[in-house]
Amino acid sequence: MHGWTGNILNVDLTSGRIWRSKIPEHFLHEYLGGRGLGVRLMRGAYRLDPFDPEMPLIFAVGPLCGTPAPTAARLAVVSRSPLTGTIYDCSAGGRFAWRLKAAGVDVLRIIGRSAAPVVLSIKGENAELLPAAELWGKRVKETVALLAEHGSVAAIGPAGENGVLYANIMMGEGNSVGRGGLGAVMGAKGLKAVTVNGDAKLVIADPDRFDHARADVMRLFRASPVIFGELGIAEFGTPALVDLMRQRRMAPTENFRKTVFAASENYSGPAIKRDFQAKKDGCYGCPIQCKKSTPKGEHLPEYETVSHFGGLNGIADLSAIVKANTLCNELGMDTITVAATISAWGEAHGRFPVAEELSGLLEDAAFRRGDGEALALGSRRLAEELGRPELSMSVKSLELPAYDPRGAYGMALAYCTSNRGGCHLRAYPISHEILRKPVPTDRFSFSGKARIIKIAEDTNAAVDSLVACKFSFFGATLEEYAELLSATTGVEYTPQSLKEIGDRICLTERFYNCANGFTISDDLLPERFFSEAGSSGEGIEVPAIDRSRFDEELQKYYRIRGLTSQGTFEDSHWLERQP
Amino acid sequence: MIDQIAKYKAKLLADRSAQPERIAFSAKDDVVISDGEHSLAVLAESILARLNCLALVVAAPSLPFADYLVARAPLADTAIIPRDTETRTFLHDIPFIRASELGEGDPAERIATILGSRKGVIVEGVGIIANGALTVEQAFINWSSVFHSTFVKYLEDLLTAGFLLPGEAEAFREFRTNWLKPLTAEGLTFRDGPLTDHATILDEMARVGRYTVERGLVDSFFGNISCRNNDMIYISQTASSLDELAGCIDPVPFGNSSTTGITASSELAAHRRVYETGDALTILHGHPKFGVVMSMVCEEQHCAVTDCWRDCDKVRIMGGTPVVAGEIGAGGLAKRVPPVIGGPGRALVYGHGVFTIGRRDFAEAFRALVEVENWCRNEYFRRLDARL
Ligand code: SF4
Ligand SMILES: [Zn+2]
Ligand SMILES: [Zn+2]
Repeated sequence: MHGWTGNILNVDLTSGRIWRSKIPEHFLHEYLGGRGLGVRLMRGAYRLDPFDPEMPLIFAVGPLCGTPAPTAARLAVVSRSPLTGTIYDCSAGGRFAWRLKAAGVDVLRIIGRSAAPVVLSIKGENAELLPAAELWGKRVKETVALLAEHGSVAAIGPAGENGVLYANIMMGEGNSVGRGGLGAVMGAKGLKAVTVNGDAKLVIADPDRFDHARADVMRLFRASPVIFGELGIAEFGTPALVDLMRQRRMAPTENFRKTVFAASENYSGPAIKRDFQAKKDGCYGCPIQCKKSTPKGEHLPEYETVSHFGGLNGIADLSAIVKANTLCNELGMDTITVAATISAWGEAHGRFPVAEELSGLLEDAAFRRGDGEALALGSRRLAEELGRPELSMSVKSLELPAYDPRGAYGMALAYCTSNRGGCHLRAYPISHEILRKPVPTDRFSFSGKARIIKIAEDTNAAVDSLVACKFSFFGATLEEYAELLSATTGVEYTPQSLKEIGDRICLTERFYNCANGFTISDDLLPERFFSEAGSSGEGIEVPAIDRSRFDEELQKYYRIRGLTSQGTFEDSHWLERQP
Repeated sequence: MIDQIAKYKAKLLADRSAQPERIAFSAKDDVVISDGEHSLAVLAESILARLNCLALVVAAPSLPFADYLVARAPLADTAIIPRDTETRTFLHDIPFIRASELGEGDPAERIATILGSRKGVIVEGVGIIANGALTVEQAFINWSSVFHSTFVKYLEDLLTAGFLLPGEAEAFREFRTNWLKPLTAEGLTFRDGPLTDHATILDEMARVGRYTVERGLVDSFFGNISCRNNDMIYISQTASSLDELAGCIDPVPFGNSSTTGITASSELAAHRRVYETGDALTILHGHPKFGVVMSMVCEEQHCAVTDCWRDCDKVRIMGGTPVVAGEIGAGGLAKRVPPVIGGPGRALVYGHGVFTIGRRDFAEAFRALVEVENWCRNEYFRRLDARL
């Protein structure tokens, strides 16, 4: 077998047992790796409570990991989210994925609950559990430093230990497994960190074909203004979007009451570059290097983070935003979710926090002190507790990121159809509605969007299973990645066959969610977007979204996916017929 | 979607790339919509039903070049490999199905299998079939790209191999005398520069962009245009169509103090350097077909460079126009064009297209574009006639 190792490393934290097993080859062929494979391996467990000891926490790499395929040294972490209750996956870069593959496994599957804190240490063929009582309570940076000799580290911080519902798993190099709270799942297992080192080399089935496909990808990266353009993400990082979202009048401001924040230029890409001497940084082996850090190596925030600590909370102070980002990384807590939760809290209290208050609120949330007890639960639960449920700007309890849905109707729909809740990265219509890749679509129109969203969800499910970075697809397409995959594995794939795999993954996720009670009522935007207009001006009208047009397009989406008008499955045995 | 189909059908007719009676589109929302010549529409629908994509266009090109390329290809081949940048970057190569292979089985199945992994395919005797993953427009762009690439490749091949098939010479004569129209800037009006007013600049750029397509210099998606005004560059957006630029022009500050222009054309860097290093106030860039063909005619013997598009560091002169290498965007064209374009006001990029500048307004740039393409066209036929 080329590309895959075919192995699962299983760990039962309750009994301390560690063993390897084989993955049926057709799972690999039909679910690829990463998200798809992880979702497949959740089949027996998706009904469990996220904090049930038997709930698996799955780290899955992809068939391209370990090759020089651009942006493919990534993995997906899959489990059930304590924040949303949905099946949940998140993609992350860093050396960890690559080293895990080099330890000879495609999947690390962790179940059980350890009585005392432990670290799982994987060294090539060997894996062991080490006591970690003295690490418990430590922040991420210190934890990573103390474990550095063991290889790459994935660790939780205080937020994960304390069960913050949106706690992250942090990769030692600064990447995070974010948003859905898988850090809390890890914390509930008593697992402080996983370290991994390996040196097995991956053999590519057809190196010449691989090199050819890689050259094609690199040529497309160079031809993409979003990737390697003078104003693109390689140069300015994702905060390159700040100015664009301001100009398009879709920058969520003051808990989505407005869509323009006058002071957003304080934290634009050029401002960050100027004020923090931002230099290139990024995921291991990625030629784009879209992440930025200071000369001292402090990670600088992404677009969604600056915008949400910024405009969403009415904060214009860049250094406070950078500090908040660093603090979240240290505490192991998701920036988008916590910023949105603080914003809902702010609106409920009639006052958004000032810059100086951010640190205290973040600490309180991570340690669940005072107001932090409610903040730690995310905006949906917090808003309900405060008696103002309408103030949670979330879908399926996942807070909306920094793309106002009134400014892009595909995005509005995609937030709702996303299986993991209000997330911009599933169908990722920003790509065509705003960034004009691969072709532009009319952002103020629902026309055709149901089909477009469906196709994009399928495509991205395949991308998340390869596991490649979505930013690659501002330039390359599945055509080139199918070539890379075929060349690596020796198994023939085409964009069409990859999209079919993506379709199966999306439907499997939806099936799990439906089995857990999700229906059309969970595929809905907060009422605000249907009743309040955004901030019109400069020749751009930003009206409230037409609810009947939205509903019509959602029904089209269901029909295209073969679902009932309630967004559920006609056939309760659907899952059994999947490979 | 009906309106989208009508729009892109009209474009295929306006640029005379497809036979008016042999065009069909199919697109799917929650239902399938098809339009155009009946048998082709049935075929389109049947192919689209097998694909996870939104739109498909089946149309017979108005010129037989694609079919000739297939007929001229060695029997074992299943794809042609044009050398222009469009193909090299976006299409990679163009798969084809021979008429003889269509006999048995459902042709839609075969075609769908190929289109499941590619943007377009040539089906001998039927035409060019292209898909759009997300929009009808994308299907049109892919169709146009295949048409462009086959046009360029066929003309290039003729220079080296001449006519090989019965009827080829006659068809080519027909193309040369009747299909091709004279290129001229006569009768067009340009605003006097320098252009300094925001609204005027946007309006003039949209108009000049439209001229380039209307006058048959470029197909609508293959080019970009910009105008400098003090510390601003106004430039057309990536994936915008030169004849529909209203609302698709980004003002980009010279010093990169804002990133709003992240959606600007991939050639922003080239435009900026040209403005920085000379006295240009306007730039036109397009992919006129004879310019593309002639840019690849290199007579260098024993050249060590294997990747001419990227690595050739010579400057050739063709009819007073310097020719340089360099790939799109961050691929080097932005380094190689600015040093050579200043004097002659024009430059050709290997396998790619033409850049021209205006030092006052768009009149000079437009005339230069016409001149370069006319020179390349004449030179092409001079060489072809000398060869045959
Ligand atoms: S583009 Fe950015 S996020 Fe994606 S793999 Fe590269 S560095 Fe990581
Ligand atoms: Zn060009
Ligand atoms: Zn050469």
